[in-house]
Amino acid sequence: MALFVAGLSHKNAPVALREQLAVEEDKLRELLRDIQADGVLPEVVVLSTCNRVEVYGIAEAPGEARALAFRHLCRHRGLDLGAVEPILYTHLDADAVRHAFRVAASLDSMMIGEPQILGQVKEAFALAQACETVGPQLHTLFSQAFSVAKRVRTETEIARHAVSVSFAAVELAKKIFAGLARRAVLLVGAGKMSELAAKHLVEQGAFPVYVTNRTWARAQDMARALSGTAVPWDEMETALASVDIVVTSTGASEPVVRAAGVARVMQGRRGRPLFFIDIAVPRDVEPGVDALDDVYRYDIDDLKQVVDANLRERAREAQRAETLVDREVGKFVTRQGDVEVIPTIVSLRARLEEIRIGEVKRTLARLPEATPETRAAIDALSSAMVNKILHAPITKLRESSRAGASRSWLEAVHELFGLGRRS
Amino acid sequence: MHPSLINPAVVGYICAMGLALAYLVQRHELVHRLAVLFMLAGWGAHTVALIVRAVELGAPPLGSLSDAISVGVWVVVVVELMIEQRTGLRVLGAFVLPIVVLLSLKALTTRPASLAPALASAWIWIHIALAMVGFAAFVFNFVGALMYLLQERQLKTKRPGAFYYRLPALQTLDRLTFRTLALGFPFLTVGLLLGAIWARTAWGSALAFDPLAFFSLVAWVIYAGNLAGRAAGGWHGRRAAYFAIFGFAALVLTLSAGLFLPGRHGS
Repeated sequence: MALFVAGLSHKNAPVALREQLAVEEDKLRELLRDIQADGVLPEVVVLSTCNRVEVYGIAEAPGEARALAFRHLCRHRGLDLGAVEPILYTHLDADAVRHAFRVAASLDSMMIGEPQILGQVKEAFALAQACETVGPQLHTLFSQAFSVAKRVRTETEIARHAVSVSFAAVELAKKIFAGLARRAVLLVGAGKMSELAAKHLVEQGAFPVYVTNRTWARAQDMARALSGTAVPWDEMETALASVDIVVTSTGASEPVVRAAGVARVMQGRRGRPLFFIDIAVPRDVEPGVDALDDVYRYDIDDLKQVVDANLRERAREAQRAETLVDREVGKFVTRQGDVEVIPTIVSLRARLEEIRIGEVKRTLARLPEATPETRAAIDALSSAMVNKILHAPITKLRESSRAGASRSWLEAVHELFGLGRRS
Repeated sequence: MHPSLINPAVVGYICAMGLALAYLVQRHELVHRLAVLFMLAGWGAHTVALIVRAVELGAPPLGSLSDAISVGVWVVVVVELMIEQRTGLRVLGAFVLPIVVLLSLKALTTRPASLAPALASAWIWIHIALAMVGFAAFVFNFVGALMYLLQERQLKTKRPGAFYYRLPALQTLDRLTFRTLALGFPFLTVGLLLGAIWARTAWGSALAFDPLAFFSLVAWVIYAGNLAGRAAGGWHGRRAAYFAIFGFAALVLTLSAGLFLPGRHGS
């Protein structure tokens, strides 16, 4: 029996194909039952998200099992298997374990470190469990994959740094202010993006929120939406004096926040930093404010630059995560390998012991006058021979299982020593 | 210093420094825990060494400058562990431990002389002890200022690099430098005053030229200016950080003068 995973993902298949093959939950139940009914796959889990469609299974002949599973998948969506089959990837044994671990840990995701995939893998596993298509082998594999994913999340910073502009702005604010609780926010102009940034800030404890807009009614609407206070447009400078974070997003063609005005405001702030998040194009805050102490201004390009740096940081962390996954795959394969070869070793020993005892008995029956010493010597001789003979095959089995290639050896041992079919 | 015990202490600090720097680069939880473990081990050995030294001398181990520095290092390590514990500022060790290692190596390689019995009095012990606690506070004042400047640079240039991710918020760092300044300054002031009073009784003049006393006065003036600026002039952030660094430079000169130049504090 071999563990395999076969499928397609954002790495090798265009979205047009992925969306055609993706299956919703109800269909998935039906599909799992259909696949299992054929009897080729005693254990199977199907993972279907918008970025990947994958079949994890245990099968005697993985190639055959793969074709079968995808024939069912294609039939469900009225697709031609011939169009899908050439682009499918297949991983076996240790490679399949590595793939499962990497997918769950979000290392194979389009956006490395994105948190949804683990939940999706868990759902796919739970669904297969509910349909009773999960056996002991996939159960061990997936439980281990979940724990590896958790370790990757806690021990590396793969998911730590923001990859969206609005979250990057919140993180920047946290590097300026000692905590965002009770930091006052001023929104200048109304826009979807500034509203989103303001919401993120409020989630982190920022309070109160002021809103100003050239159109008084718009300011009031937005203030209501964010449970904030509307401020008249010409009182913006007064508001600037008291707030900590300013989010600007007007459609004005000229800057609405001037460096000279900010310089005036800063004099009364006694060193309290002022952070401008300027997501307007053209920009709302004069770049000249950069020269002022304690003023930090990030425009949309600056924020994108921060996001890029965060992505690079994630990629570096992903390298660490890969090392961690490699180590875990090694451990898993060793453990599984031992589990796989031990029954064979036991039955091999039993078989030879049975032969030995039979032969010893027969020999002793022909030597009635043998002294107890002679009997003991014959017994010891036969034991020593059996052990010597067993030594090489057992060592080889253990080694091959550690290398993840025990299947052919197990089969050979069963054939050569007449141990019967393996279960 | 008792060599067979101070050596393990220094080895512990060096290992902790290596691990703390590795943590700064790799941020692996285990590495940080090991660094703390080595720091604790080094500090334990250091404590025993100081006790043995005190028993040997029959007096506080503060009679020579190298002994006093050793006590200063001991205080720095305790405070480092406490701040890390209380604020979760895990990168602090990477900045503090190099200073700890340099100072303890210096204290180790200097042959300690004991205080001339004629000079021994309760005042001198208090003078040295207070000066060393002040010094320990200023180590953190310096480190906080350094971290502030690094983080401020990252935020102003808008190119987040290694330090952006590893260092805490500017306000946190500014608060650290302010608190350590406010804490260290009274100790330094009283320590210097006691020194001056005691110098008058011993040599008949409070201001008789001594290289260490001179540089410590320079440091005191810088710190006094910084504290006054912060308290009354609204100083903060970059300016306060520069002054913290100047002040610490003066303190380093103070110790170097005591260790390398002939004078009353001479080793």
